[in-house]
Amino acid sequence: MTRSVWKGPFVDAYVLKKAEKSRESGRNEVIKIWSRRSTILPQFVGLTFGVYNGHKHIPIAVTEDMIGQKFGEYSPTRTYHGHAADKKAKRK
Amino acid sequence: MTDRVCVGAIAGAFGVRGEVRLKSFCADPEAIAAYGPLWTEAQDRRFEVSITGVIPQGLSANLTGVATKEQADALRGLRLYADRDALPPAEDDEFYFADLIGLAVMDTGGARLGTIKAVLENPGNDLLEVSLDGHGKTALLPFTQAVVPTVDLEAALVVIDPPEGLLPD
Repeated sequence: MTRSVWKGPFVDAYVLKKAEKSRESGRNEVIKIWSRRSTILPQFVGLTFGVYNGHKHIPIAVTEDMIGQKFGEYSPTRTYHGHAADKKAKRK
Repeated sequence: MTDRVCVGAIAGAFGVRGEVRLKSFCADPEAIAAYGPLWTEAQDRRFEVSITGVIPQGLSANLTGVATKEQADALRGLRLYADRDALPPAEDDEFYFADLIGLAVMDTGGARLGTIKAVLENPGNDLLEVSLDGHGKTALLPFTQAVVPTVDLEAALVVIDPPEGLLPD
């Protein structure tokens, strides 16, 4: 069931505080968070978050197309290395 | 840059007519047949691959020089390598994982930090796993223009400008 619109997106308060502080300081730093349930808001675009996956913080550079998703979606809890073969990485 | 790239492995015989079960490591599994003759790891044999079907464990295929079930069974576990030159050229700002792995990692001041150990596919942005010199630790870096401004395949290095807190002290 989807979340009621009148409630607005859910974000843990400490995530908002940390993001605000980092933006005000203008420092290029990783914001370590444990809140995988928080929604990615437009004001997070351009910041780099370290999202905890139960083991370590996975760095996520927030872009516009991530808005509305949860942080946890970008920090997989299982690692599969696989084979390189012909796979390509795109620099965003 | 590596000369050969592992693109698949033989999982055993398929049927009794000399076909093999092929495990493809390619992004598009059936592309394995398009990369020309495939070599063994020791480079002592090479096979032309023609795919005959898709099966639950991967692909069924005919290999040149393999005509019987016994010959196919003898190849079980063999890894197959394609020439790096057989892969199509990558687009702008796109890099083969195989080309990135093993590159030296430098900071913007020119100091060497480590080596790229692996490239991880991640929903947001791909991640470079860097093995740090003198640490025995690894660090994950988002593969973005801001964090990895320079990728020089000729010089076999990448230059990184990581945000504070990304690399261990």
